Amino acid sequence: MREFLAMGGYAAFLWPSYAVTLGVAILNVVWARRSLARAVAAARLRLAAGGADS
Amino acid sequence: MSWTWFHRLGSPPHIYRLAEQLTPWFAWPAAALILAALYGGLVLAPPDYQQGDGFRIIYVHAPAAWMSLMVYTTMAVAAAVALIWRMKVAHAVAASCAPIGASFTVAALVTGSLWGEPMWGTWWEWDPRLTSELILLFLYLGYMGLRGAIEDPQRADRTSAVLAVVGIVNVPIIHYSVTWWNSLHQAPSVMRLGKPQLSMPMLWPLLMMLLGFTLFFVAVLLVRLRGEILVRERSASWIREVVET
Amino acid sequence: MDEPRNPALPGVEAALGGATAPHDATSVLEAARLVLERDMTLALRRRGQLVQPLAFFAIVTMLFPLAISPELARLREVAAGVLWVAALLASLLALEFLFRDDAYDGTLEQYALSGQPLTGLMFAKTAAHWLLTGLPLALMAPLAALSLGAPSESLPGIVASVAVGTVALSLIGSIGAALTLGIRRSGVLLALLTLPLSLPVLIFGARASELAIHGESYVAPLELLAALAVLGITLAPLASAAAVRISLE
Repeated sequence: MREFLAMGGYAAFLWPSYAVTLGVAILNVVWARRSLARAVAAARLRLAAGGADS
Repeated sequence: MSWTWFHRLGSPPHIYRLAEQLTPWFAWPAAALILAALYGGLVLAPPDYQQGDGFRIIYVHAPAAWMSLMVYTTMAVAAAVALIWRMKVAHAVAASCAPIGASFTVAALVTGSLWGEPMWGTWWEWDPRLTSELILLFLYLGYMGLRGAIEDPQRADRTSAVLAVVGIVNVPIIHYSVTWWNSLHQAPSVMRLGKPQLSMPMLWPLLMMLLGFTLFFVAVLLVRLRGEILVRERSASWIREVVET
Repeated sequence: MDEPRNPALPGVEAALGGATAPHDATSVLEAARLVLERDMTLALRRRGQLVQPLAFFAIVTMLFPLAISPELARLREVAAGVLWVAALLASLLALEFLFRDDAYDGTLEQYALSGQPLTGLMFAKTAAHWLLTGLPLALMAPLAALSLGAPSESLPGIVASVAVGTVALSLIGSIGAALTLGIRRSGVLLALLTLPLSLPVLIFGARASELAIHGESYVAPLELLAALAVLGITLAPLASAAAVRISLE
């Protein structure tokens, strides 16, 4: 296991790389869901406030 | 040939529902592929004879770089469709792409730099690929900056669409000129962002990663797309039933 | 609806005895010629404004010896790059003048409504812009080059590369200028949009100048520069026209 984590000496570069990329991926998921939630909340507010404007 | 299917694609309520239904069909396979590829790349694949275990950074750097370019292309194609056929949904697709692409471009730059340090001995080199990625980041930032600077949402959509199309035409030109520039100053072979010779056991995890991230992109895009459609469909009555469930 | 007269050129009407505005013109070439003439005439009335980009070019060039070293031998190493960065920034600054006044006084709108292809008129405006800024920059470049230690044999090559390069820069810049029309304080955004697109011009132009300074043949990069300029001539006015139309909606 320790050998695996050490990655032949490249650990200091390898694990941060994986962390950054997977971190960006997770960030995208969270960000996307939040932006959808915000849009839904805004739509709800608009409907409650004035009904659909045409 | 009936083009109804194409024009249906332009119908926001239809797309909204389709996006909602399709998301899990992309999200779960994406997760599975990425996890399998991680195992394949980190555990199963043998170390490279030149770069040792260091080459394994390719399993995150290559997908990030691939995403940065693929997403920009998708954004530009959506922008072109939006301009030509005047489809609001296409504008929504383009808008959804930008933050995804920009964040992966940053990831590509960071992982590229991290890969480079042990190989080159410096944290940054004006390697043609890294330089092109940096320029791509500026293209994304410009697009997002332009969108943000225009108040009228329709004008913002259409103006940034023109920029996206202009950008994509430029990407090959920029890449060519950067490669040309780099080759002039005879960068020694060690400078090129290490492309190890990939045997089959090393290659398949990479391909799985690329496919997995592509599916991941579609899944995230579908989620963002729904929000972007809602924002553009202020007056529609179909929103009521969607939003209140 | 009364005929909108071009308020800036009252004497032209009598002189030309014919079309004075694009919507009167019988062909796109005539309309383009009118737009070009108008832009040139108006700009030449405000010579102070024309000199500004050139002064900026000179000042930026001067920054480098002060920041690096007065030794011409050292400066010669970086002369091509410095020259080109200065020219790029100066031409960026000059872009503000391309559409701003016409957007404010409604002339752009007239052009869009004139019935003439807006693309042709955009090309004419950009051509005027190059004649007023790019060409003077190219003619000034030898002075800057000499001040940075370039040998006098390199000057023709430098002038050629800057002249051709600024054609491409004006065209690329016109797209950014059109996209940012009506955005307040858009200077930085304009730079952020235009600079990445201008990088190929910078790369080839600086390379051509570099080769000229070393006394080598600069034909290859110059040809690439020319290719970029031609590509720009074909495509940029289309994009600017599209952007202008969007901003007028």
